[in-house]
Amino acid sequence: MAQVAYAGASRIYPGAHSVRAVDGLDLCAGDGEFLVLVGPSGSGKSTALRMAAGLEDVDEGTIAIGDRDVTQLPPKDRDIAMVFQSYALYPHMSVRENMAFSLKLRGMSKADVRVKVEEAADLLDLTQYLDRKPKALSGGQRQRVAMGRAIVREPSVFLMDEPLSNLDAKLRVETRANIAALQRRLATTTIYVTHDQVEAMTMGDRVAVLRDGVLQQCASPQELYGTPRNVFVAGFIGSPAMNLLTLPVDGGGVKLGELKVQLPVRAEQGEVTVGIRPESLSPVGAGEDGFDLQVQLVEELGADAYVHGTLAGHADKVVVRTDGRTPPKLGEAIRVAPCDTGEVHVFDPESGLRIGAE
Amino acid sequence: MTTLVEAPQSAEPPSTRTRSRQRSAAWKRRAPLLPALLFTIAVTQVPFLVTVFYSFQSWNMVRPGSQHFVGFDNYVDVFTDSVFLQALGNTVTLTVVCVFVAMLLGLGLALLLDRTFPGRGIVRTLLITPFLILPAAGALLWKTTMFDPTYGLLNWAFGVEVEWLSNYPLAAVMTQIVWQWTPFMMLLILAGLQAQSREVLEAAQVDGAGRWRTFVSITLPQLSRYLQLAVLLGAIYIVNSFDAIYLMTQGGPGTASTNLPYYIYQRAFEGFDVGQSSAMGVVVVAMTLIVATFALRLMFRAFDVSRGVK
Repeated sequence: MAQVAYAGASRIYPGAHSVRAVDGLDLCAGDGEFLVLVGPSGSGKSTALRMAAGLEDVDEGTIAIGDRDVTQLPPKDRDIAMVFQSYALYPHMSVRENMAFSLKLRGMSKADVRVKVEEAADLLDLTQYLDRKPKALSGGQRQRVAMGRAIVREPSVFLMDEPLSNLDAKLRVETRANIAALQRRLATTTIYVTHDQVEAMTMGDRVAVLRDGVLQQCASPQELYGTPRNVFVAGFIGSPAMNLLTLPVDGGGVKLGELKVQLPVRAEQGEVTVGIRPESLSPVGAGEDGFDLQVQLVEELGADAYVHGTLAGHADKVVVRTDGRTPPKLGEAIRVAPCDTGEVHVFDPESGLRIGAE
Repeated sequence: MTTLVEAPQSAEPPSTRTRSRQRSAAWKRRAPLLPALLFTIAVTQVPFLVTVFYSFQSWNMVRPGSQHFVGFDNYVDVFTDSVFLQALGNTVTLTVVCVFVAMLLGLGLALLLDRTFPGRGIVRTLLITPFLILPAAGALLWKTTMFDPTYGLLNWAFGVEVEWLSNYPLAAVMTQIVWQWTPFMMLLILAGLQAQSREVLEAAQVDGAGRWRTFVSITLPQLSRYLQLAVLLGAIYIVNSFDAIYLMTQGGPGTASTNLPYYIYQRAFEGFDVGQSSAMGVVVVAMTLIVATFALRLMFRAFDVSRGVK
């Protein structure tokens, strides 16, 4: 049983303008769960992770691992293992010594250390590199050593701080799958920090979105995508980002150019922020219902093409996903309509909160 | 087939021509460096060769016309001269003790400075000051304000009346040199401490290492290069100490605090014995080279700091 529970945990950097890097975080990673903390830079996600590791003070609230309150414990008494962004391998030690360091400190016998290290090395395909120094390894191998150093200890929690951001794109995709598979196999509670929302969506059992130190929403990837709780989550999750337009309400709907879109919720008079994902829009024929879009940029990705354009009478850009084989040309006007009204999200323009969320 | 036969033939004739052209191009590129090279040779190697030449002669400037070759006599004299041997011993003691103590103090101060506290910039500047003072000024400062039996701060502070410079001449000189060189060691080691990755230290913490363990297993091995450099540079400078001895004790009382540079100075410019002092100079250079190339390397291999203290 090792769940990690933040209860009103805050980290405040003192100074003339004291900064609440993490502000009253209430979050719980269940036993064996893979929880991803995601957010833009400066959102406090790394700080939150380092608080659980004991590398940052907790100024308010508590953190518990399992049923122990660890708020005041030093890192070495928390039974955690951490993987750092820079890997933080000990440069003067061989791969074997790097992995054995923590076991040696615990007073494990030499024979046992050897067995454990070799097991971990085998699991991570590092056996032939055991006697090399970190500087003689490639980026991907170093990353695996950092993972190995964490798993030999069999800790109750893994903490990973952007462990893939120093790898090239191809290796990142591969390692992403490996880490997720390894975690499922070991069933060790894991908190994983990333700024990459694709990583967050593909790896996490649940994803917690942070912004300016405040938790925005913590839910399964599907739920985050399907029912974002506020405008920030709506814009952050999904690539390219959701189109968000603030429009006046007119008889239970809004007007997108000449197209009237019925809102899925009952809205009062005034304005609402309407969110439609690029993949919920598609080009339609000239005579059909829709609105006209002046094409300003076309991003061709092969299978799909993303068309950036402006709506007549609006400054905001609208992005539409189209078929990659026949993308529209720059400067053309295309007619676009939502494929399904169910995929229109409505938010309060003042508070940014979702309207109609139960 | 024809191309195969032709290839070696066509490769041969240009080889000599291109080689000479390459050589002249290389010389053209290096030519601007020549003045610096000639200057370096003129001011370092020529005097050394002249010194070697003098060391085979019996030549005392007090007796003009006495100059003649004596072969290795001067070198035999050097090794049977009890004062030379004493000066050699003093030099070794001075160098080893000063380098070691200055390095330990420097390490301690660097560790204290490697954390944030209010006024850190001022403290750092103050700690560096001894290194910025002219060595001669530093020596006079210690002689008059610290060690002086009548006005000295040491006697006043401890409430004693000790003639520091007469009773403990070598220790007094070493104190001044340590004072002067500790900031140098501190700066080098501080640079090493600050070059450490913070994440590596944090990883050690998470791995279960306490402060002492982290220092011994992670910090010290990573510092080893900086420590080696500090020892090497410190030793080179301290072997050559002259100012402190000349100004504080004049090598005395008797020859109690004479080191090699000071003894050579005495033989050359007070005894005017050119041959003898040249031989000593050559011996000292040879010994320094041996120490610098073999002894230090051996020392570091023996301790093998870079693999961590087990």
